[in-house]
Amino acid sequence: MLQSALQTGLAGAISLMVVFPLVWIISTSLKSRAEVSRDPLGLPKTWLWSNYPEAWDVGRFGTYFLNSILVVVPVVLGVLLLSLLAAYAFAMFTFRGKNVLFVLFLAGLAIPIGVLVVPLFYQMLALNLVNTLWALILPEIAVSLPFGILLLRSFIGGLPRAIMDAGRIDGCNALQLLWCIVAPLSRPALLSLLIFNFMWSWNQFLLPVVLVQTESARTLPLGLSFFQGRYSSDLPLLMAGATISFIPIVIIYVIFQRQFIKGITAGALK
Amino acid sequence: MLSLQSWDGLGPREFVGLEQYSRLMSDRLFWLSLRHNLLWLLGATVVPVVAGLLLALLLARSRMYGRVLFRTVFFLPQVLSSVTVAIIWGWIYNPTFGALNVTLNALGLEFLQQRWLGDKSLVLPSLFIAWSWVHYGFTMVIFIAAIDGIDEIYFDAAKVDGANGWWRFWHIVLPFIRAPLTTVLLITAIAAMQVFDLVFVLTNGGPARASLVIPLLMIDNAFIYSRVGYAAAIAVVLAAIILVFSILFLYLRGVFRDEAA
Repeated sequence: MLQSALQTGLAGAISLMVVFPLVWIISTSLKSRAEVSRDPLGLPKTWLWSNYPEAWDVGRFGTYFLNSILVVVPVVLGVLLLSLLAAYAFAMFTFRGKNVLFVLFLAGLAIPIGVLVVPLFYQMLALNLVNTLWALILPEIAVSLPFGILLLRSFIGGLPRAIMDAGRIDGCNALQLLWCIVAPLSRPALLSLLIFNFMWSWNQFLLPVVLVQTESARTLPLGLSFFQGRYSSDLPLLMAGATISFIPIVIIYVIFQRQFIKGITAGALK
Repeated sequence: MLSLQSWDGLGPREFVGLEQYSRLMSDRLFWLSLRHNLLWLLGATVVPVVAGLLLALLLARSRMYGRVLFRTVFFLPQVLSSVTVAIIWGWIYNPTFGALNVTLNALGLEFLQQRWLGDKSLVLPSLFIAWSWVHYGFTMVIFIAAIDGIDEIYFDAAKVDGANGWWRFWHIVLPFIRAPLTTVLLITAIAAMQVFDLVFVLTNGGPARASLVIPLLMIDNAFIYSRVGYAAAIAVVLAAIILVFSILFLYLRGVFRDEAA
């Protein structure tokens, strides 16, 4: 009993290290500039909500939000569909060159995106895609596929064969089998993959830094970094901008935290 | 292929063989960044891993109240974008209004106040702490899952033998988490070699290049100094280092797997 109480107390103290910076940011975002310099640590005396619409307008967060959504949705859908198809093929069929192809995909897992961005920029330039959202969508799908295929292949490989045989006897062809039996049964793995890719592409910073130079194509992290550069002296406004950008992902995380953590562990322990 | 050429990104390309690599070997900035990266790597294989393990030991296999809540909170920094993290820490480190210096002041420890990101000898450790604040969450959840997965029998046997906590950790927990430990080390090490976002937003390699790292050197060469071939050579070296680490870790993991079997 005593030990448990001690543990809870210790864990509570440590969680302050996470909670305090976030609360402090929100509290600063509700102050006036004068109050920040007078009392940087305390809670705001009057809550100045007007910092939020101001940050939203001058920071053009509307555009950045829209761009982020326009990038993340096709990325997540593309990764889910393509990895499901490829993983299904790798798990269920034998075909020529299967092992070579699979090793090629795995090699993609070992080559980090930091190494690829420079040549990638010139490829996108040649394709005339620099400064478009496609320059963010296509490479993000490409770098996310190896992980998705690996995760789904091992999941599909572990599904009971008897169900699929039953489906085949009932006259399903390969695609019907995938759509009616394999995909619904893979829902937990698909959900993990969805959450992962959502988080990765929502927070992706290196790709937009390199591939986007116009304001109209900036995503949320890139837009926020420019906002930070411009308003670094106006702390309340900056903190309002930061809050606007982290609130959505935190809400999604809190709702789906079980899946987040399950997905991370499933991916790493495989 | 780009790394064997000399190219400014626009004009004609010229094949120069290994010249970019020999230039790299005599580039003072390259060795400086490599040193910073390796220090970062060293820190990254210790701090987030040990912190994650300690938190996992606190939370795993316990029936404490609010276990899931604490795990959720501890992991939270991991889902924030690196720019958000940079803004949070940029402000904690702010010399006049930042939480760190204000707190030191309130405690009467003014002499400890520093320009955390403006001092050449402090900037790397300060950035590293901000980075660790994010990355321990990942190691923690992996360790929790691994420790929760250990069969209860071993702990019961230890209880019968009257073993203390330290003994339990050393002889039960540690042997079981060796394989996940190598995975965690590998993933953290790869992330450490690629560190870019935080440094780019907070210091851009400054002050006086005291926080310059390899990925930043690469991006600067490619897009600011227009030395594309040179940047590609840096990328190849970075990839080679990461590859060597991956092979080393996968080998170790294989050894541990065989021992466990």
